[in-house]
Amino acid sequence: MRVNPNFTADILQNLYVSQNQEQTTIQQMSSGRLINMPSDNPAGAAQLVENQVQQEQNDQFQQNTTAIEGLMHSADSTLSSVVESLNQAVSLGVEGGNTTKSPAELQSIAQEVQGIQQQMVQLANTSYEGNYIFSGTLTKTEPYTLNPSSPDGVTYNGNTGTNTVTIANGNNVQTNVPGSQIFQGAGGDVFGALQQLVTALQNGDYSGVESATTALGGSLSYLSQQRVFYGNVLNQLTDNQNYLQQEQVTLQTNANSIDGVDMAKAATDLSQEQVTQSATLAALAKIVPMSLLNYLK
Amino acid sequence: MGSLTSSLWIAANALDVNQAALDATSNNIANANTPGYSREVVDLSEQTPVEVGNLTFGTGVNLDQIQSVRNQLLTLQIAEQTSQQNGAQTQLNALQQVQGLFASTTQGIGEAMSSFFNGISQLSTNPTDEAQRSSVITAAQTLASSFNQAAASLGTIQSNLNQSVSQTVTQINALTAQIAQINAKVGQMQQLGQDPGGTLDQENQLISQLSQLTNVSETQTQQGLTITTGNGTALVVGNQSFNLQVGNGPTGMQDVFSQGQDITSTIQGGTLGGTIQARDQNIPSVLSQLNTLASQFADSFNAAQEKGFDLNGNPGQALFSYNTAGAAATLSLTTQDPNAIAASSDGTPGSNGNITNLMAVETQPLPAGEDPIDTYSNLVAQAGDLTSQAQANVTSSTASLNQLNDQLGALSGVSINEETANLLNYQNAFSAAARVVNTVNQLAQTVLTMGTQAAS
Repeated sequence: MRVNPNFTADILQNLYVSQNQEQTTIQQMSSGRLINMPSDNPAGAAQLVENQVQQEQNDQFQQNTTAIEGLMHSADSTLSSVVESLNQAVSLGVEGGNTTKSPAELQSIAQEVQGIQQQMVQLANTSYEGNYIFSGTLTKTEPYTLNPSSPDGVTYNGNTGTNTVTIANGNNVQTNVPGSQIFQGAGGDVFGALQQLVTALQNGDYSGVESATTALGGSLSYLSQQRVFYGNVLNQLTDNQNYLQQEQVTLQTNANSIDGVDMAKAATDLSQEQVTQSATLAALAKIVPMSLLNYLK
Repeated sequence: MGSLTSSLWIAANALDVNQAALDATSNNIANANTPGYSREVVDLSEQTPVEVGNLTFGTGVNLDQIQSVRNQLLTLQIAEQTSQQNGAQTQLNALQQVQGLFASTTQGIGEAMSSFFNGISQLSTNPTDEAQRSSVITAAQTLASSFNQAAASLGTIQSNLNQSVSQTVTQINALTAQIAQINAKVGQMQQLGQDPGGTLDQENQLISQLSQLTNVSETQTQQGLTITTGNGTALVVGNQSFNLQVGNGPTGMQDVFSQGQDITSTIQGGTLGGTIQARDQNIPSVLSQLNTLASQFADSFNAAQEKGFDLNGNPGQALFSYNTAGAAATLSLTTQDPNAIAASSDGTPGSNGNITNLMAVETQPLPAGEDPIDTYSNLVAQAGDLTSQAQANVTSSTASLNQLNDQLGALSGVSINEETANLLNYQNAFSAAARVVNTVNQLAQTVLTMGTQAAS
């Protein structure tokens, strides 16, 4: 039987194939990735695109969470100061309700309460990163201004708008409570009660002082309930950070299972490919000089 | 009747015949590495013997012919596989460039889209923040540019393929002209009863080159060899060749014409077939999906913008614009104003109520059926699929081409061992015949000196 005498083309083709495999393995080892081009695994490449987007989204959710945490902390600590000042005002009210106090003493207590009133307006006008946190969605408008002619002593310039931020897929949190709801909600009007107290003190109206103090105590406990909102959101954010970090690990694991190189296997493949190649080269080197001519001297 | 003269003639003839056989062997050895060369074998036969009475005298050796060993069927199959392999390889080269545009998960359209939506998500935590608004606009610009770049790169790959169409057609025309000339020569040789062996090898080699450029079929007719494209367009009929022409087709690409007829879509295989397939099928398919994604994404986002209000409290305006003739290539921003992002749902600057609508664009299905990210990842998968199919075609056609070449090589290839053995045989026969001439000469001397010896 006659065989193709020009076997070099075949051997060269085999060499080309094993060189190609070797290059692929080296590329996988050096990049640490199985998919270096979509054609390496088209479905896997598509999954990697999705996975990458999800990882970046997860990263963004973490950033959103951190950003809101700052805002929530700022609101919460502001309300803590508000509660402190109001407690002070309640004590002053109790003191002023005592009929042993002279009218002159009541006037000086009234001035102290007015000081608290101003302090309260300042606190309600707290801003975070350039935005007023208690003006609804009118975040560039100072929510409260003092207004002696108003029955509650202030004017609310904000609105009742609320914002929500997505902190995980399907998880949206409200990020603000409008000032009109916290300070002057249906359950209690802090500014109204303060103004009532000031007026009663100025008029030397002991029973008026007493009832204003009671009203102030009531609106203080309502405000404390509102404050719980921020505490709850902060807890939710902490839980969410943990969830997102776990999710990040899951996503990375998924990506690795699609695309990760098993280094031990790759190293074994590489050494096998090198053996194949050097065997082919050795065979070529032995066969090429072999011909009848070598034996005719 | 045997005579010294007849022995001399037999030996002299044997010298000629073995000389010719040595020539053939020498020619085989010389062409051992010539592509397309078919080895020659020497057909020898015994000359008609002479019968005298009841004796039969041989009259020596006859050189019947020197013939090339070939198999037309294998040659045809090789031509066929060659065009398939070249077509797949050409397509693969183009598709590898195409998939390269979609290979990275950390840059390109997918990444730009992801960054854009993450920027908007970040904006929801502080909708009045100028810096964050600017970075959303920058991300939108990057997204539009990455669509533009992908479309432009696809266009470049396509126009390079387009240029190579006319180059390939020029090569095809040059080859068919040469084949027609050789056909004429083969016809003359066959009329004179000569073996056109070497000339046929040349022709086969040219046909092999031609089939690298496009799929051809060959038929033998009365006019000689006829070569047509796979679809039957005549390229060579006997000693006449028909040039293909290149001209502008309906899509503005260079189309291939034969005698005034546009045959572009019928061309298959070979560099030309692969080029046309990549240029007219693969790239337009990828580009059209890219255009659909660009236009539907832009429409969807613009609609979401119009549901809200910008930072100045004005109704949201479209952010993206494009030309329907090529959405991906022309996608651009209508404004660079960071305030234009319609984050607010009620016209107040601090509201982020419309960001829900803006973000929903990322996850809601486009009219084409899937959300923008899924649509893009499908595009990546499709580019990969096309490339890996072309890769598989190259591998399988290379394997069968090797197989066929092996078969043909086993039949027609020059074996140095075999030729060396033949060389020894013919050399020995030549030396022996020469010895016979010498011997006859000595015998003749003996005969001529017979009388003189007796006299002295």
